[in-house]
Amino acid sequence: MMEKTQKTNWVLTIVLVLGTVTVFFPLYMAFVIAFKQPSEMTNDVAGALALPAHFSLENFRQAMEVTDFWHSLGNSLLITLVTIALSILIHSIAGYVIGRSMAAKKSFRLIYLYIVSGMFVPFSILMMPLVKQTAQMGLGNRAGVILLYLVFYMPMNVLLYTGYLKNIPVALEEAADIDGASTWKTYWTIVFPMMKPMHATVAILTALGTWNDVMTPLVIMSGTGQNTLPLAQLNFQTQFGTNYNLAFSSYILALIPILLFYIICQKQILNGVANGAVKG
Amino acid sequence: MSKRKIARRWTAMVFMAVGITGLAGCAGSETEGKVEVELVSYKPEAVEAFEKIQDRFNETHQDIHLTIDSPNEAMTILKTRFIREDYPQIVGIGGDINYSNFLDADLFLDISDLEEVTSVKQSYQDMSKELEFVPREGVYCLPYAANAAGILYNKDLFEKQGWEVPETWNDFVSLCKEIEAEGMLPLYFGYKDTWTCLAPWNALAVGLSDSDTCNEVNLGNTTFSEEYREVADKMRELLSFGEPNPYAYSYNDACTAFARGESAMYPIGSYAIPQILSVNPDLNIGSFPFPANENEADNVLNSGIDLQFCVMKDCENKEAVYEVLRFLYEDETIQVYLDNQGGIACKEGDFDIPGELLDMKNYIEGDRMADFQDHHYPSEMSVDAMIQTFLLNESDNAADIFLAQFDSDWKRYNRDLIRKVQQYQKEREDGK
Amino acid sequence: MKSKMTNRDKTFWAVIIPVLILFFAFNTLPMIKGMIYSFTNYRGYGSYDYVGLRNYMDLFSDARVGKSYLFTFKYALAGTVLVNVLSLVMALGLNSCIRFKSALRGIYFVPNILGGLVIGYIFSFIFTYILPAVGMAWDIGWMKNSFLASEKYAWIGVLVVGVWQAVAMNTIIYISGLQTVPQEVYEASMLDGASKWKEFWSVTFPLVIPFVTINLVLSTKNLLMVFDQIMSLTKGGPAQSTESISYLIYRNGMDGGQFGFQSANAVIFFFVIVAISIFQMTIMNKKEEQL
Repeated sequence: MMEKTQKTNWVLTIVLVLGTVTVFFPLYMAFVIAFKQPSEMTNDVAGALALPAHFSLENFRQAMEVTDFWHSLGNSLLITLVTIALSILIHSIAGYVIGRSMAAKKSFRLIYLYIVSGMFVPFSILMMPLVKQTAQMGLGNRAGVILLYLVFYMPMNVLLYTGYLKNIPVALEEAADIDGASTWKTYWTIVFPMMKPMHATVAILTALGTWNDVMTPLVIMSGTGQNTLPLAQLNFQTQFGTNYNLAFSSYILALIPILLFYIICQKQILNGVANGAVKG
Repeated sequence: MSKRKIARRWTAMVFMAVGITGLAGCAGSETEGKVEVELVSYKPEAVEAFEKIQDRFNETHQDIHLTIDSPNEAMTILKTRFIREDYPQIVGIGGDINYSNFLDADLFLDISDLEEVTSVKQSYQDMSKELEFVPREGVYCLPYAANAAGILYNKDLFEKQGWEVPETWNDFVSLCKEIEAEGMLPLYFGYKDTWTCLAPWNALAVGLSDSDTCNEVNLGNTTFSEEYREVADKMRELLSFGEPNPYAYSYNDACTAFARGESAMYPIGSYAIPQILSVNPDLNIGSFPFPANENEADNVLNSGIDLQFCVMKDCENKEAVYEVLRFLYEDETIQVYLDNQGGIACKEGDFDIPGELLDMKNYIEGDRMADFQDHHYPSEMSVDAMIQTFLLNESDNAADIFLAQFDSDWKRYNRDLIRKVQQYQKEREDGK
Repeated sequence: MKSKMTNRDKTFWAVIIPVLILFFAFNTLPMIKGMIYSFTNYRGYGSYDYVGLRNYMDLFSDARVGKSYLFTFKYALAGTVLVNVLSLVMALGLNSCIRFKSALRGIYFVPNILGGLVIGYIFSFIFTYILPAVGMAWDIGWMKNSFLASEKYAWIGVLVVGVWQAVAMNTIIYISGLQTVPQEVYEASMLDGASKWKEFWSVTFPLVIPFVTINLVLSTKNLLMVFDQIMSLTKGGPAQSTESISYLIYRNGMDGGQFGFQSANAVIFFFVIVAISIFQMTIMNKKEEQL
């Protein structure tokens, strides 16, 4: 294919750069608070937007100590990464099977609706029975949380994968079938790699859901002595007082890994196209 | 991607998953030859005090090992543990509607054979009795520490201006007017977080209404429209002395504002003091009981059980658990807790009253105290939000609407309870 | 079925059956258990009685529940439109030929990962102090009072934050959808001299319709289940004007003692959202087929 260098659209660039104010302004406030002392907190606008009196990483150090940062981060990473890996493997093939059969077979159309409608069950109604069920099955731990995430995000991910497949022509698979390859093999060698942009998208969206989640680990893992970052961050809030300064430094620390992960995944979404995997 | 590579990945995944299960399996170790006692407290802010108490206990006891947990979101964790039937032996909770509900669900053990229950101050014994939906035989909790709520005031400012702590409603209103005349804000509310509406409400209601109002309503002897009329009127009267549009400002805003000297007084409990001091460590804070009445003698201090210990019904090793409770109730142990957390001891005896509560000393020593009324409100009724709605409604009959709704909602949310209470009453009368 | 199962069918069933079992065990089964509680006066612990259909009857006479439905639907309807328009525009912008592409994509993603505590504090501060200060300075009437303190406008405050956070997620989905639009299609249409506007409606839009469906369903669902923003911004106030259905179910069912009643609420709510989503999917499917 001929590589055409397109002209940069400067007007659009400027508009989008200006738009980042809507993100940078709140983010600036968060940063300033993360560096301040509680005694610098105030209700007047100028004071709140002012830079902290001293810049020191002391708040961050304390926040890391209070949350047992490396340990909690390890748990959060473990849970999120395993969930993502399993989601990509299991949900993609489920999405493929459903997506390719749904048009012709009523049974798969029903399965599709059944799974997707699972997305709309309010967590509150599931919570109590799940707590009991996981405890009885010996899953009141990190493995249980991962398993639950796999189920919670299945509807969304199946929806995403089936939607994406609509734009991927079946011709390639049919060719492989004619060559005598098994469906299993065709899937893993041809279809799976072609869905790379969607894998990256699923990875981001699943990570988004799991990284900040408090409720599931709180009710499932409590008492195991294991904390995820959001659980450890509850330390900054008690019933009648919140240490916003430490909390904000901790939240900013927790933001970095997922932001990096997002940037990596973004590259994958684009690379998928550069490889010429998806072409009509 | 090759098939082999995929297979390898799958295997890795499976191993990872197995590894996690294995890791989680080895939590919770047994201490050899010792009886384990686990106490779960709902106050994560007191974790340091509890660690100290726990270490002291374990140093002095060879045969019992005590673990005190103070997790965040303790009520959620406790409820989920109850579902799993994974009960600790002792729970440390507040003397509020949760206690009433847990007790009603028959979760707690009768500890009336523990000698310590007799050394609890009378008003706290009464309070915990009143928390029982239907009066029960026996004692189900050991009240430990109490808090007090009234009005916080800026001591230095009061001294400088020569203002006196008011003792009657009239004094209070004229003080507020005086403060306003000086160009200052008398009160700060922070009604955005609805629960803050309950702080002045409770403090007023203890003085203007009986402590067993809710129970009397359940028995059909009175209505809230009758009991709370004056409370509602005074709540509205207060509004004019606070910041304009108080519904825009949160609890945290109010703490910061009071800490920065933006208002002379702040109608909230002593529990807000640490948050205020974090913003302004030099502030000299005092606290006086809400002067709700025209006659000082009618005023009552709003004080509730902030921490009490209950023993779970199915607990084994009752002796070991009692030993823990005895240790917790030694004067020295209580003082360790109070030094760290402030507050009032529920035990009879000579305990230090924290500086910020000194203006309440007469009430505390004279046992002139009554529980927070909201400890009897079902939380799902959201009385706090109803009060906020009432204050926002500026029409003339706002109080009528509010009180009528209070009565009708009360009946709806407490339907099962009212039936139970009235049935109990009927049985008792029949029995006579 | 006429013929014997083909190999392809066998593989498909071999894949889908374990998935279905997993899904049933950890989604449907607990839901059924939860539905059983909706016929009881269970508090979440301790003993309980069956109360028949009482919870469901109460549900229809409960003014607070009715109000929460009104708020939630108003919020979700306005939100869905705003989120989808904004995120499609954002995706088109971020996918076109601009500078600092990666950095911009990264920045616009941030709102979605900020925790509730941060969102709550920052936006409360903006609504409570900054906007009124600006309103005073420039004498703009409607900005002088905090949105969040007004019964009438608090929902708009919540909506602004909700949309601000949601756009990031839906933009990602649109961006990946735009990747499936082959470059040649653009090039061809450019040769035709089609205007940008026409190009979008006649070329790009039909190709990303499956993603519009996904985004509609996902954003409607997320907005209908709004919870975090309410928790961190208004706690349902002022005067209970921003109590969403999920907020009510959680607050009164988990924290309060209404577990049974709120389970009934959750069951009804579930069927309502499923109905809405199926409606959306059917309409969009027809659209997809037309094009």
